[in-house]
Amino acid sequence: MEKKTIRVLATVGVSLLFALTLYGTAQAQETQVSGTVTSAATGEKLWGVTVRVKGTRTQTVTDQQGKYALEAPSDGVLTYTMIGFRGTEQSVGGRSTIDVAMEQSPTMLQEVVVTGYTSQRRADITGAVSSVNLDNANKQTSASVLQRLDGQVPGVTVEAGGSPASRTTVRIRGISSFQNNDPLYIVDGAPLQDTYLNWLNPDDIESVEVLKDASAASIYGSRASNGVILIQTKRGGGGTGVARRVTLDVRTGVASPVKGYDSFLMLNSLDYAEYTRLEYENAGLPVPTNIYGDPNNPTVPLYTYADPSTITSVDAWGRPATVNDAGYSYPNALIMPGSAGTNWWKAVFSPALQRAANLSVAGGGADNAYLVSFNYLNQEGTAAFTRYQRGGVRVNTAFTLDRVRVGENISVSREYNQGNVDYNNVAEGGILGKNIVSQPVIPIYDIAGNYAGGKATTLGNNNNPLRDAWAAKDNVGTNDRVFGNVFATLDASHGATLTTRFGFNFGQNLGHGYSPINPAVAEPTFNTSIYENEYSFTQWTWSNTLNYVRSMDRHRLTLLLGQEASKNSDRGASAGCASLVAPDLLSSRYIQDALCSSKNVSSSGSASALLSFFGKVDYNFDDRYYLNATVRRDGSSNFALGNQWGTFPAIGAAWRLSRESFLANNSFITNLMLRFGWGKTGNQQIPAGRVVAQFGGDKGATFYDIGGTNTSVQTGYRQIALGNPNMKWEENRTINGGMDLSFLDGRGSFTLDVYQRNTNDLLFDPRLPGTAGTASPAISNVGKMKNTGFDFSIGYQGSLGAGTSWSASFNGGHYKNEIVEIASGQNCFLGPASLRQQDAVINCVGDPIGSFYGLVADGYYNSDAEAAPFASSGAKVGRIRFMDLNGDGQITNADRTVIGSPHPDFSGGLNLGLRHGNWDLSATVFGTFGNQIFNAQKYWYVFGYFATNVRKDLLTDSWTPTHTNAKYPKIDVSDVYSRQFSSYWVENGSYVRLRSLQIGYNLPPALVRWIPAARVYVQAENLFTITGYSGNDPALPPPVVSGAAGDIRDQYRGVDQGTYPSNRTITIGITTTF
Amino acid sequence: MNTRIRNRLLRGTALVVLVAGVAYACKDFLDVPPQGTLNEATLANKAGVEGSLLAAYREMDCNYGSGGDWSCAASNWVWGSVPSDDAHKGSNSGDQQPIYDFETYQWGVGEADAYLNGKWITVYEGVVRANATLNLLDKVRAASPGEISDAHANGIRGEAIFLRAHYHFEAYRMWGSVPYYRATDTDFRKPNEAPSAVLADILVDLDSAIALLPATPRNGDKGRVTSWTAKAYKGRVQAYGGDWPGALTTLREVKATGPFGLQDSFNHVWTGFTAYENGPETILAYQASVNDGEPNGENSNFGERLNFPYSGSHFGCCGFHQPTQNLVNFFAVNDSGLPPVITAADTTAWNAPCGGACSRDTNFVAGDKTWAVDPRLDWTVGRFGVPYKDWPAPDPSWVRDASYSGPYSPKKNAHESASGSESAVGWVPTQTNGVNIHLFRYADMLLILAEAEVEAGVLENARAIVNQIRTRAAAAAQGPGTDAASIGVPLTQAGSVYSLSEPWADYKIGLYTTPWTDPAFARHAVRVERRLELAMEGQRFFDLRRWGAAAQVLNDYVAIEKLRTPMLTGAVSFAARHAWYPIPAIQIDLSRVGTEERLVQNPGW
Repeated sequence: MEKKTIRVLATVGVSLLFALTLYGTAQAQETQVSGTVTSAATGEKLWGVTVRVKGTRTQTVTDQQGKYALEAPSDGVLTYTMIGFRGTEQSVGGRSTIDVAMEQSPTMLQEVVVTGYTSQRRADITGAVSSVNLDNANKQTSASVLQRLDGQVPGVTVEAGGSPASRTTVRIRGISSFQNNDPLYIVDGAPLQDTYLNWLNPDDIESVEVLKDASAASIYGSRASNGVILIQTKRGGGGTGVARRVTLDVRTGVASPVKGYDSFLMLNSLDYAEYTRLEYENAGLPVPTNIYGDPNNPTVPLYTYADPSTITSVDAWGRPATVNDAGYSYPNALIMPGSAGTNWWKAVFSPALQRAANLSVAGGGADNAYLVSFNYLNQEGTAAFTRYQRGGVRVNTAFTLDRVRVGENISVSREYNQGNVDYNNVAEGGILGKNIVSQPVIPIYDIAGNYAGGKATTLGNNNNPLRDAWAAKDNVGTNDRVFGNVFATLDASHGATLTTRFGFNFGQNLGHGYSPINPAVAEPTFNTSIYENEYSFTQWTWSNTLNYVRSMDRHRLTLLLGQEASKNSDRGASAGCASLVAPDLLSSRYIQDALCSSKNVSSSGSASALLSFFGKVDYNFDDRYYLNATVRRDGSSNFALGNQWGTFPAIGAAWRLSRESFLANNSFITNLMLRFGWGKTGNQQIPAGRVVAQFGGDKGATFYDIGGTNTSVQTGYRQIALGNPNMKWEENRTINGGMDLSFLDGRGSFTLDVYQRNTNDLLFDPRLPGTAGTASPAISNVGKMKNTGFDFSIGYQGSLGAGTSWSASFNGGHYKNEIVEIASGQNCFLGPASLRQQDAVINCVGDPIGSFYGLVADGYYNSDAEAAPFASSGAKVGRIRFMDLNGDGQITNADRTVIGSPHPDFSGGLNLGLRHGNWDLSATVFGTFGNQIFNAQKYWYVFGYFATNVRKDLLTDSWTPTHTNAKYPKIDVSDVYSRQFSSYWVENGSYVRLRSLQIGYNLPPALVRWIPAARVYVQAENLFTITGYSGNDPALPPPVVSGAAGDIRDQYRGVDQGTYPSNRTITIGITTTF
Repeated sequence: MNTRIRNRLLRGTALVVLVAGVAYACKDFLDVPPQGTLNEATLANKAGVEGSLLAAYREMDCNYGSGGDWSCAASNWVWGSVPSDDAHKGSNSGDQQPIYDFETYQWGVGEADAYLNGKWITVYEGVVRANATLNLLDKVRAASPGEISDAHANGIRGEAIFLRAHYHFEAYRMWGSVPYYRATDTDFRKPNEAPSAVLADILVDLDSAIALLPATPRNGDKGRVTSWTAKAYKGRVQAYGGDWPGALTTLREVKATGPFGLQDSFNHVWTGFTAYENGPETILAYQASVNDGEPNGENSNFGERLNFPYSGSHFGCCGFHQPTQNLVNFFAVNDSGLPPVITAADTTAWNAPCGGACSRDTNFVAGDKTWAVDPRLDWTVGRFGVPYKDWPAPDPSWVRDASYSGPYSPKKNAHESASGSESAVGWVPTQTNGVNIHLFRYADMLLILAEAEVEAGVLENARAIVNQIRTRAAAAAQGPGTDAASIGVPLTQAGSVYSLSEPWADYKIGLYTTPWTDPAFARHAVRVERRLELAMEGQRFFDLRRWGAAAQVLNDYVAIEKLRTPMLTGAVSFAARHAWYPIPAIQIDLSRVGTEERLVQNPGW
């Protein structure tokens, strides 16, 4: 009775909506045919396969158990079609049971995709959702799964440096906020907002889906404004009939940087001597002779530096000619030889071994499933003394007890890194910066084998980069992580399923390190120090959902209702101590009174909570017309009472034209669907606690010795941050139109999405005038940003005769980012950080976020007459000529303007595959076009700031009166004018790169008796790059930069401050299953 | 069967509803206070007000949190010393290049802006802290009247208002035309006022402070300002504004009845010995502190930490703020112990360039005593062969690149070895010490008074002050000693001339014995004395500008000094627009309201 009532109500409801299209034409009744449709590859039961009597309009759809039943003529033919699978036909031939196994179509991936608290058939998705082809993605060996997505997903950009364990920046369809633009990651149903996913073993991953538009993502409302990346890990295969499956992957490879500074910096000391001569002579200054002697006949010095007490004679230029080696003493009386040319790049960077092993055991029975996997990864850095290791265990089990299914999925991992491996954000302080700083005449080691340095005058503020790498070798960090969830599902019949899931993410990061003395440099340090850091966090999310699925005739209705609560907290403490009593004694490097002096401790913490309610309804008729609606309501503790709650609705609709009669029998089109979606998502990724004004103090910044004691301070306070109780959710409205086409029996496919994203009420801390003080400005909802663009993918799989098949797919995207509004009255604000006192980045209304900013360079002043009008600003012949944009007769900061953009016009990837017999070959090419790079490294290798090493071709291609069409301005040590930030620093950042190339061979099963199946492969990553960029590597990850209002790295894209270059990696591996 | 399922469904639904309900009903779930900070209410008491006031004092010198690099230094070495004829940026080419841009008057280039902005942010943060103290004080007084006594409340108010005036004066000296902010201001995009209006506002605040402040420091804290501090400061501001009669009245009163006096000996003015610190000469000083538990030495005279001799010295780094040859030559004396520059015959010869009669350039090497020198030279400038306070004598290894900016080292900010006033912690412990930074000292005030006396025509009063200063200068010259008592050695008096011969130098200093009758001579003599007394203290550039002498003196200086330190060939000529520093472009941009930029750039920038 009850059951019947529900069915009737549901039927009536949907019937009313689609009354006009409801009725199919009844056919003559002949035989009852039924059966089960499964996937040929996995044995999985297929839900939603259309079964049709050929030549008629009689059809049905398989249910969740893959079962179907219909009336058909006993001599008729049944066709079975489903998106993502190759269509097939069966003659009835009088049979009453016909079971069919369907083969997956080559260009489509999973049939069922996880799209938010529930699964959907791929074919039913109306939003912009991309599934990652993990077969392709896994042909890259990076430690992070995210880095493997590069070039795989239309509209998704992935950026990372080449250091082991480098962080990854993923952006979906441009940038929508001044603050954090990281997508939301959902790993096995548990949310994560953390760009660092290196702890997750890529080999454990079953599927990756990217929800790109609001109609797909808004079920995650609160945090989905930058898109959602859903990651499902592998599970045991219960019920598939495979009792146990053991998989072992082992691979090993060698990585080396794609390019090094040694390819264009000076390597010969006498070249540098000539550069020095020109630098000074052209400036009208006396040429220093303390290193190279006679400027007109320079020689490599016997000694770059010798302590005065050891010098026994000097040459005509005052250089040490003979020294008393016996007078050498470390660290106070050093003697360093001269070098004919040190290759600092080679001194620091060398090929590095990378190894990984993964073992998994999976299986299960009718009512249980399990998977256990073990993973170990060891990546040496290409930079000396660096290493990254990861070990992890993942366990998941599930048990079915009657209608209840319970299980868990837990991973435990430890990462261990050594030597400050994450060099993404180093600028001049890290070993890359130090590499440029180092002149070739400086030797690596002094005469006693200790690290040398640029101690002598005119050698710059050089730190020996190899020494710096060595000094960091005792800096060790570990990250321990427990991540996972436990769940219970109740199949409540009537198509209703109740799920409760408790996800957790506990972690602890520990670090400790040691800084030794550094005596061999111009600014020596004789202090030793140690540090010890501890940071731990706890995040949990409890979600409860009700799913209801109703399939009736050609109607299908799904309903989702849910509630979720989540809480995050973290605490950290750091401590340091200087002047170690016994610095060389490893066991004494602890922060204890007797072991060192001047302890220094601090600690911090934050906490936040989210509470959410959501619902979604999906309806489709006949797989032809789709309609869905989502609404989510979120409360965030980051806002004040009254502003905590935001509501995020979305709708989606789609029309499968290929189901219409006018296309039903089209021989070309297999599937054609038009999609439309609109929705609203939110963003609250700001630091916790910014509702109220914050006060505090700092012993070094607000405490003061008011008593004049000279050795004590009294407590002082100041306001450290302004609060804003009126902050509310940042809102992002997305409209998306899309088309899915597959053709020629699914061999070809094409997907196109066009979108516009408008962000309103941007959460942002507009900078206040200096007169308001240095407290962090309040975060408020000001500003608007717009992204418009499209992304597409096109693919085809063909065959070249028996046993040979090929596939190609191309995906790409374009977005245009535009700042529509900043705070009232503000048209522009400068980027978050300045480089050596100059600002390279500005954000202006009408321009994209993170635009480059500076003067406009217009060749060189080729004559005194040209320079004369601007002489008071510093113009001289041979210097860069700047445009006087405001026409005031001077070149000043007021002449700066927007001079470039880091955003590409187009980026995309091409995946190619070829399979012949047991052999397979695949390749991925990635390209980005139209983006620019602000080459901040020109500070050093073009302008020689700080007496650094410079580019070789400065000697041949700098401005001279007879070479005015030069690449570089006149060499001149006194020229502070030319190096003002200008369009001279902006370069085309386009590049095309062969990301991966793999050849694999499947060993025939009988070849090795105890291995049932195995595949061996050789692969290469980043084999070649085509680019016009003059720096090291055009693939630039944005540095990790945080402001008072959160992550602001997107205001610092495309600025090359010495990024750790990508690696060329050659790997061999074997995968076996038994 | 149906019932069982329905029950399960009900139970499941109940579970969901229950969970949702519990979470929602628990209103506190989303109530998460900020962690690890204080709020306004926590500080609304006496401790909060006093702490807020201390933070306002603290902003007088740099810390890691302050605006930019070395632009925030209490001593103003970047702004008042390097652009003048006193000092070079120092170190070597490239290091802290924006300071070179200021030295060579290229103030409009891009990288200079960040330095200017650093100073701007520093002074206005000082203003904000002072105003925050006043607002918090009002709040506490209103809410709990008994919490702070009237006397303390007046004292706190007076100190905060004084500091507000001081920070605005710093801004005024840089840019002239700046906005003035009081505790009641909420619009931080106010237009800048004319320089004269800024001075008037500063004087209003100083008068309030004078009325509110006690005559002796509150709580006996040596670092606190008093009504006398404010009065002396008022005289200085009046002098900057050209109100000579006003300055005369104010400063005569301070001299006659105030608590200040000259330190017994010149080497006890800039010192790490606590016994001499905060003596009678201190009017306003940044109270530096070391080994106070702060792990980076930030409470030391942090803005000076580049300004120590280079790696061959104990200090190790970084060789910035090097005295010029021009300054060193200025300390030569004639047979009467007076500066040659005051005699008509020697107005230019005292600094004759090399290639001509440049003997003085090379004579200032230890042991060469061709010229006797004012004893203050060797308390001001580190020279090869002359003991460096009680440290060994510098040699060429103390200088990073003599071809770039000469052989001399700064000395006033260095601590004596015996003082023990050196940090044990931080990046550069040897370069962070407890030597207080004088922002205003009594000799400075006396010399301003002397200027006022000259302008009033009372030349003999001016002469008396100059002789008072010179007599004190004769109290001690650099000696070979290594403890507080013997570092300085007294000069021997013979009539009006004091002298002392040491192995490295002949020291001599004489008094002006002839009555001053010519105002021009008197003005010149006072100004010369001012340079000698206050060299390297960050005053010189502002003095030259105040006197209207900057263009002439600095262009002449560069013309000759560039023959000695060729890097000065990069200097552009000092022109009318250099009257004020450019207002930081970023601040002009941030002052925009609609399309209007509320801050107007100074002329010529």
